[in-house]
Amino acid sequence: MSLIAGERAGPAARLFRYDRRIAANVARATFSGWHDRLIAATMLLFALAAARSWLLDRTWPIAAWTIFGAGVMIGLTAGRRIAVRLAFHTFDGPLAADALCPALRKRYLIAWFAIGLTLLAIFTVIARPSLLIAILPGYLIGSVVGHVTGSLSLAGFGAGKAGLGRMLRSWIQRPGAGIVAAAILLLSLAFAAQYLRGDALVVVAGIETALSGLALTIVDDGSVRFQTIAGRGAWHIIGRQARGAMLFVGIATPVCAVAFGPAFAAVVAATSIGALLLMVLRTLAYRIHGKGFADFIVSILTGLLILTAFSMPILLPFVGIAILWQFQRRSAARTWLLA
Amino acid sequence: MNPIIDLTAVSIDRSGERVVRYVDLTAIEGSWFGLIGANGSGKTSLLRALAGRLPFASGSCRIDGVEMIADRLARATHFGFSPPADTLPDGLRGREVLELVGGDIETMWPRLGPLREALGLDALLDRWIGDCSAGMRQRITVALAFAQGHTRVILDEPFNWLDPVAAFDLRQALRAMVNNGLTLMTALHDLGTLAVACDSGIMLAGGNVAMGLDSRLLETAAQDPQAFERQTIDRLRAASAP
Repeated sequence: MSLIAGERAGPAARLFRYDRRIAANVARATFSGWHDRLIAATMLLFALAAARSWLLDRTWPIAAWTIFGAGVMIGLTAGRRIAVRLAFHTFDGPLAADALCPALRKRYLIAWFAIGLTLLAIFTVIARPSLLIAILPGYLIGSVVGHVTGSLSLAGFGAGKAGLGRMLRSWIQRPGAGIVAAAILLLSLAFAAQYLRGDALVVVAGIETALSGLALTIVDDGSVRFQTIAGRGAWHIIGRQARGAMLFVGIATPVCAVAFGPAFAAVVAATSIGALLLMVLRTLAYRIHGKGFADFIVSILTGLLILTAFSMPILLPFVGIAILWQFQRRSAARTWLLA
Repeated sequence: MNPIIDLTAVSIDRSGERVVRYVDLTAIEGSWFGLIGANGSGKTSLLRALAGRLPFASGSCRIDGVEMIADRLARATHFGFSPPADTLPDGLRGREVLELVGGDIETMWPRLGPLREALGLDALLDRWIGDCSAGMRQRITVALAFAQGHTRVILDEPFNWLDPVAAFDLRQALRAMVNNGLTLMTALHDLGTLAVACDSGIMLAGGNVAMGLDSRLLETAAQDPQAFERQTIDRLRAASAP
């Protein structure tokens, strides 16, 4: 039996088919039981309902800014991941010739970005159709920026410029990066306050904090794995990685409270804590699983936490602590182990 | 004796450092060219660059008489190449990865020739790569280099992780394919295989060619492997001495 029966032969879409087959197999293996599929479908429905309810309860400008920010973030992540994947295909993959061919690269990029665009469009049509005008440009801008910056940082991988990306990542994890990020946030908010007022400015603060928080809490899976094998405990690794983000929240929150008001401080603090929590989850997951599966698990758990925050906020700390405790318990056993 | 790969003074940079310096080599059509050298001597970088996976920093790379130093796509299209075994995706079966690269499995078997049996591929077709041992993964990656029917193939240490029987069978199968016209370039750590199986080669040390290995030298080496081993190790030691 031919694997690709029914699929077009030839190299045109081979690169895309390769990745799509892996994704399909992983999804099939993850949701192999009917109860797994039922839980996933239920969670998806709850998440959609919660997002729809939240977006419909907001005024259009607030909902539009929020969804625009979400689109940018999703686009940035997608753009960067696709750039990394293409670099892998070029350097280590069995289809390097396809990945080096400009026409085939373009088709590969278009295929994956179009899938992201379609999924976001479906989500928005269900949640609040009038927001399509906000999310799609956000996603496209994020995708382009994510892909270009991702490609630039990877361009030197083989050509001797890998040091630049590594240097940047290394610098971002230094405490000084947190101070610089806090200064940028505060200065840009002071500037934006001349043109924006009230809720719109709070949304800008949230988006900027989310971007800074995610940048400051980048987790290198290889580094976590190496430190684990070398005998470093989970909280030692996390503490070292969190220095920049802790300084960021420590400076930005009180200054925002004084300069812009308690609502801004609350948004900055909550968003930064969210980014830190995500970093903790990823670090613990990388100690237990390979990168792909760890990222998948973390995205599921993040969805669960968001869902809890929307539907039963009082339970959020308990759910969060339960997840962290479970991860910590399993990851502690990994120290010194070569899996 | 038709030289199909002709590198002149090629250099390669990785992470801002020059890892291969002014290397010259010529590979003849229908021959097995071996690269040996210490860890970090530049073997893998040289093979990857030749297969388009890395850019050359300088020099000349003529393949079939055509200059391809700046054309990674042309180089990648010209050669079959085995990806590192640890980068194969856990979420595919052996059959799937082979078919995604080489098309329908039945049309692929003739391209693989004696490798099908030597690598024991039939037993790996329905196995998840995530469930494969390092040796099983290695067998699949070697097969991948031949899956598209290339007659010029580059293998980076193909005998790693293979058990002695599989290594012997693979060496015999590759030698038979070379005798039938395959042009093969491999990085090796095993001096015995170099002496017995290869037609020519070079020894790399610190990114430079430390020693050329022509067919006459390798014939002599095959007759007295111990002397060859001693001579080669002495050269490697001298070349890596500070």
